Amino acid sequence: MPGNIRSVCAVWAMLVCLVFCGKLTTVDAAPLCTNAQAGCHVLSLANLFDRVIQHSARMHGISNDLHSEFELYFLPSKNQIGRVSRNCHTSSILTPNGKENAQRMAREELTEVILKLLVAWRDPLWHFHQSMAHHHDFNNFSSNKSLEMSDMVHELRKGVQKVVEKMQMLGIISNSVSNLASPEALLASDSAEWRLMKDYDLLYCFRRDSNKVQNYLKILKCRIVPEHGC
Amino acid sequence: MMKKFREVILLLLLLSFVPHAEGTRYSLPGKPALTRCRSPEKETFTCWWEPGSDGGLPTTYALYYRKENSETVYECPDYHTAGKNSCFFNKNDTSIWVNYNITVVASNALGSTFSDPVDIDVVYIGEGDVEGEVVLLLIIQPDVKPNPPEKVAVTVMEDKGWPFLRVSWEPPHKADTRSGWITLIYELRVKLEGENEWEMHLAGQQKMFNIFSLRSGGRYLVQVRCKPDHGFWSEWSSASHIKVPDYFHRERSVWILITVFFAFIFLIVSWCIHINSHSLKHCILPPVPGPKIRGFDKQLLKNGKSEDIFSALVVSDFPPTSSSNYEDLLVEYLEVYIPEEQELILEESKDLHDGCLKPKGSTFDSDSGRGSCDSHTLLMDKCGEAKDDGRQTDQDGSQTGSEAQRQQAAWEQEALTYAHEDMISPDMSSGRVKTWPSVFSPLPQYSLSPLSQPSSLETAKQHCLSDSLFPPSSLSSYLTQPGQSTKEALRSSCSDFCSSNKQPLLLHPQPDARHQLQARSDVSISSISHKEAPAGLQLPTVRSTEYVEVHTVNEEDMVLLHPVPVGHSHGKGCLQTHQGEDYSKVNGVDKNNVLLLQREVMEEQVDMCPCENKDANGATESYCTSSAQKSIPCIHTALPVQEEKAVNGYVDTATMFPLPIH
Repeated sequence: MPGNIRSVCAVWAMLVCLVFCGKLTTVDAAPLCTNAQAGCHVLSLANLFDRVIQHSARMHGISNDLHSEFELYFLPSKNQIGRVSRNCHTSSILTPNGKENAQRMAREELTEVILKLLVAWRDPLWHFHQSMAHHHDFNNFSSNKSLEMSDMVHELRKGVQKVVEKMQMLGIISNSVSNLASPEALLASDSAEWRLMKDYDLLYCFRRDSNKVQNYLKILKCRIVPEHGC
Repeated sequence: MMKKFREVILLLLLLSFVPHAEGTRYSLPGKPALTRCRSPEKETFTCWWEPGSDGGLPTTYALYYRKENSETVYECPDYHTAGKNSCFFNKNDTSIWVNYNITVVASNALGSTFSDPVDIDVVYIGEGDVEGEVVLLLIIQPDVKPNPPEKVAVTVMEDKGWPFLRVSWEPPHKADTRSGWITLIYELRVKLEGENEWEMHLAGQQKMFNIFSLRSGGRYLVQVRCKPDHGFWSEWSSASHIKVPDYFHRERSVWILITVFFAFIFLIVSWCIHINSHSLKHCILPPVPGPKIRGFDKQLLKNGKSEDIFSALVVSDFPPTSSSNYEDLLVEYLEVYIPEEQELILEESKDLHDGCLKPKGSTFDSDSGRGSCDSHTLLMDKCGEAKDDGRQTDQDGSQTGSEAQRQQAAWEQEALTYAHEDMISPDMSSGRVKTWPSVFSPLPQYSLSPLSQPSSLETAKQHCLSDSLFPPSSLSSYLTQPGQSTKEALRSSCSDFCSSNKQPLLLHPQPDARHQLQARSDVSISSISHKEAPAGLQLPTVRSTEYVEVHTVNEEDMVLLHPVPVGHSHGKGCLQTHQGEDYSKVNGVDKNNVLLLQREVMEEQVDMCPCENKDANGATESYCTSSAQKSIPCIHTALPVQEEKAVNGYVDTATMFPLPIH
């Protein structure tokens, strides 16, 4: 009997840990199902878009908070020139800088830009989190945010890919959007530019890029499925 | 002199010019500073600066900016649209997500002064917090501040009779929310006219909002504002006035109805209370019982004469010392008139029990022993008299037979009393209740009306026999000394009586008639010696069940008893066949004022000849030949029912005593 009790207790403890840890770690995006999967109701495209946009909004919020915290801890250098010449590693990606530009852009292009941005930031954010964890200057709160941020980029990319697939399935966009999931497509261009950047610049750049992603997604949504909240 | 005067004047002039010359010193203009930049829709933006000191010379300001990753310096395209000291960047010149490095230059004739450069990202336009020449901190904050919402429309709508406000608006026309370029969230506030507190409501991204819980007839002010995801709140829109119509009229009518209804109920309740005020007073505040001492005069007490008071309390006639008529104290006794071949049945009414138990001596002469000839009416009449005279039931015994409900204690009391009073037969007094004290007492009190005329002795004997039939056993349950002794005493006394033959008795004409006198405790029937009775009279066993009924009271105030035979045929001179049942105990008086006797089964079988009993099983007739007392009609008595219940009282039957059969 004690053996049974022990096993039961162990299993129970494991379950509790799983649940607890699961809550702590990630903010999971809602699982998206394909049509073939059973037990999973299919979401509409508008729903998918809403979820993705919410996700990106949250990601942007976290990046904004982190950037503000960094500014408190690290005063910006007087070297204003350096700031101006700061070069985000994603500046090579051509992104529309205005509403008209964004609206003029084709859906497929816009989608690709989004995906590129998300892909470009996966590694830098992961390394940023690693460096933050090692710095004892930062409190746990910032460290958790950085981890959350890097995870969210990952999840957001997957979500956007789902949206693209759905759009392609619905025939909204053509299949010319390349599958950017493959890491080989980006590793070449990515190289190690981001490794040269300082943490603060990284945050600055990411904050901007996350805002871009959010904006582009909104534009896409209101262009494709304008009935809800546009 | 003159030269000196000129020198002084020149000196004075020089002195006067000196300050003037200092005041007009020209210098470079002061350093301007960018104060803020705003973008209302994330497509254009405007920057304002603060000029510094102008240095005494006309100063011009210029704004130059450089975009990110470009060295090209541009000048502000529009200095006038946004007002003084501002620069407006239109759509073509605005690039989002691009850093602008903006510098303001103040120039005058002497030179120019550059402001500190500010990095501006339209999305995150920072406000330079510049002090002096040192840039302490550049706090970058998003400063997209949209215009307030437009076309705010407020209407009153109804929901199931209750009004509510519907506020609708449109985003500022510049903000492009339709394309998703900018996302605005709205907030509105409401307040009553004249109040100071606003009620805030966050409306999210919707452009319509309902406000409930309005005050009827109130005037409200509504304002709306908006904010992008990351930006500043816009200014509040201009207030919209709205008046809520009065909708409480319907409610008021309901309240009026309710008020009227409750007022009505209140009136009724107060009226009822007023009507029953007296009884309510008694209920709530019961009156304090005052002392009730008979003979106590409150007035005397108030007057304060104690002697009079206490003297009044003294009852002179207590304890009774005078040798009053014992008969007066005694309960009335019955004179049993036993007509020939008739049996007497005592009956008594309930009324008699209630109130008739009073000393008949008070109302009757010494010949009392009057019962009612006619049991019902006379008894009742006597009851009325009794009640009139006052309640002296404790001293009463019924002539004809009191109720079974008679208290035993009282009976005993009386029995003892009577026994005490009995002078004739002290043996009998040992607990027996006498019914015929007069039998043993002075005879004049005893009056009998002879219905039939047997020999006096016979009658006496019969009477005695009937008396002897008085079952001692039944008395024994209530009296202290039952037993043979009493019977013997009875017999002896009866025999004495018989021998004395002083008074004629109304006896049953049949010598063998069963004289079942069923009387109450007060009534004791003297017994006749059994030896004589059966021999001479062939008296029947007393076991036969009979009811003695008091029929009438004759003119001489004698109770005429009338036996009511039950289911027996009586022949003259025969003993009634008794089935071994004896009615010796009085069960009670039923509603028909019939004395209910209890049957007691006796072993003896008496061979009885059917006796004359015209009342066999049925209606009884009055055997009173003369019933003239007070014109009381004779009442037919119903056949008494044989009851075998528990006996509260008892009636001595004359047949209880087991007579030897022969």
